[in-house]
Amino acid sequence: MTGTATAPAATAVPLTGPSSGQRHRRRVRSYWRFYLALSPFYVLFAVFGLYPMLSTIVLAFQRWDGLGARRFTGLENFRFLIEDPTFWLALTNTVVLFLMSTVPTLVIALVLAVMLQSAVRFTSVYRIGYFIPNVTSLVAMAIFFGSVFSTNFGLVNAMLRSLGIPEQDWLGQPWGIKIAISTMIVWQWVGYNTLIYLAGLQAIPRDQYEAAKVDGAGTVRTFFSITLPQLRPVILFTVVISTIGGLQTFTEPQVMVGNSGGTGQSGMTVVLFFYRAAFLDNDYGYAAAIALSIFALVLLFTAINWRIFRGRGEDR
Amino acid sequence: MELSRRTLLAGGFAAVLGGTVVGCSSGMDAGSTTKKNAATELTLWCWPGGLGKSVLDDTVAYFPDPKIKYSEVGGDFKQKLITTFNGGTSIPDITGIKGEDIASMLPQAERFVDLRTVGADAILGDYVEWKVKQATTLDGKVIGLPIDIGPTALYYREDVFTKGGLPGDPAAVAEQLKTWDDLFAAGVELKKSNPKALIVWDATDLYDIVVGQGTERYVSKDNTFIGDQDHIRKAWDTVVKAMTLKIDGKTASGSPDWNAGLDQGTVPAHVGAAWVALDIKSAVKSSVGEWRLAPTPGGPANFGGSFLTITKNAADPAKAFEVIKYMLTPDNQAKAFADAQIFPATPSAYDKPQLKVADPFFGGQVPIEIFGPAAEAIPVAYEAPSDVAVAQPFKDELKTVQSGAKTSDAAWSAAVSKAKSIAKRQGVQ
Repeated sequence: MTGTATAPAATAVPLTGPSSGQRHRRRVRSYWRFYLALSPFYVLFAVFGLYPMLSTIVLAFQRWDGLGARRFTGLENFRFLIEDPTFWLALTNTVVLFLMSTVPTLVIALVLAVMLQSAVRFTSVYRIGYFIPNVTSLVAMAIFFGSVFSTNFGLVNAMLRSLGIPEQDWLGQPWGIKIAISTMIVWQWVGYNTLIYLAGLQAIPRDQYEAAKVDGAGTVRTFFSITLPQLRPVILFTVVISTIGGLQTFTEPQVMVGNSGGTGQSGMTVVLFFYRAAFLDNDYGYAAAIALSIFALVLLFTAINWRIFRGRGEDR
Repeated sequence: MELSRRTLLAGGFAAVLGGTVVGCSSGMDAGSTTKKNAATELTLWCWPGGLGKSVLDDTVAYFPDPKIKYSEVGGDFKQKLITTFNGGTSIPDITGIKGEDIASMLPQAERFVDLRTVGADAILGDYVEWKVKQATTLDGKVIGLPIDIGPTALYYREDVFTKGGLPGDPAAVAEQLKTWDDLFAAGVELKKSNPKALIVWDATDLYDIVVGQGTERYVSKDNTFIGDQDHIRKAWDTVVKAMTLKIDGKTASGSPDWNAGLDQGTVPAHVGAAWVALDIKSAVKSSVGEWRLAPTPGGPANFGGSFLTITKNAADPAKAFEVIKYMLTPDNQAKAFADAQIFPATPSAYDKPQLKVADPFFGGQVPIEIFGPAAEAIPVAYEAPSDVAVAQPFKDELKTVQSGAKTSDAAWSAAVSKAKSIAKRQGVQ
């Protein structure tokens, strides 16, 4: 933005020419209105985004109980983090939950999008219907899903019973907790991704499909040879967004199985672990170190995804 | 030189970074100077439902000068209080502190007025001793006056008990279920005739209550880790026994299964604080009048109960103390109980008419006859600031025993080693 605003200005300023520093200053002064107009975002971002982020980095090297004096402790927080079995458990849980929720979400969303595109009637009704879960209160939904998966009086077990399958203690078993949490994430995010894919599908030129038809390609062949490659940038976008969201799973396990993460701490995600360190154990320095590890994790996964989904595109 | 995006960003970054460092260093010594609040009004913070409405209105009317400005602070109360303390402005004169947070506030005693310096000695005897101890620092400062307490009792379904061949009358239940072993034996008996009725609602929930019956917790007064000793292991074994006898319902209180089970009879009993009555009453429909109260097997424990404190920022600490003293007299505590079931921390309130009311929900039983004696018999136990953090691994590991993933011994040694490393981190020897 700034670049495009200043570029034409540079040619318009008469080159009276003394030092470049003076010219620089004058340019800033004469275009102050532009900077002023741009500033609200940057000021707000600096105060509410950048400052807390930088404080977190500083805090990660300190001991702080939230109220007393801060004490600089160097790398102690990180050393403890590496030795803490709960941290590694939380990390594993987060990645497993991410895979258990993101992969089904995106696959289902893609199938739904293709189906929705060929649907003739009530398309808006379907689109709204699929999107509604995404704008529903997360806490309310977590309570609802907790009931659906509850052992004695839950909907899922009632269904199992009627099918003659023995009921399961969903929220009392490590794997059951993971299934319940990822089901909820899938339910919430399928609609959102469907809409994104649908927009992507509509941007694919029709004549490509017609050409494929002329060449004798069937529905499946068309999907894999035209639809998927054309959708690659859209898929990359959804994968990156899902990665950022999925690695920060917090509300679902916190409401469904509590701050402890449930049986075997199976619902203990890294963000829940962070929350526990900061707001229950009053160990803010340690929490900051955990927060930085989440940042590193998201960065790593985004880079991997980027490689997988973009790299192949560039090779061709 | 062109004003490129890069130089602009770099400049902005440097400016903010500089600001951060300055901000942090000035934040570090904020604790040493305390700014007094203006004397024009007296600010009071509490959470929704923390104080009885009529008592509050009456107190506000009773102290017109300076006017009391009450703020109801919802959400995470402790977090908001801590944030305000760090901000350094708009700190309330008087603030509530929840029972579970008081231990972690004691190291910050210099932010609060020692109530003994403003005349609390004369009235501290009115309150149950163990509760006052929770707000007392190791060097004897008292930073809070108790609002309420949460003595525990055994809640049970009279109809389910009698049908299962157990005594139904509260006196007979009290007589037969004196210890946890008695309760578990009764649970085994009940399960024989009614396999769905499990007497322990959730064994891991029970653990905190069993620990609360003791006089020692995880960290001793001289700041050493004692969580690996007999008193904790005994509480652990008690809970594990409920699991191995298969009388553990595995339905955590407040969960959908617990709510539904109260009516259905699959949760025929619960051990909880006085305020749990509100949860049970709001969860059940068909079992109204079937519930009864008996003393907690193995002796009473406490769950919850809050304090009013005066911050060092208070314009007039003596005046602020007059306010909290008035608000928390035995008379007003009885009123708050009638208002909102806020259980009095002053034993003399237990004789007031408001507390002597029979409760049709409990089949006409008078709850105070169970909770009153319990309140006075709760043991004094030292709760270290690190208590919550150190206790967590024990609860986490008990869940693995409950699900059958680990044996009791394996889970115990994992819990002890995790708790030790957390304790060490928290500065415990």
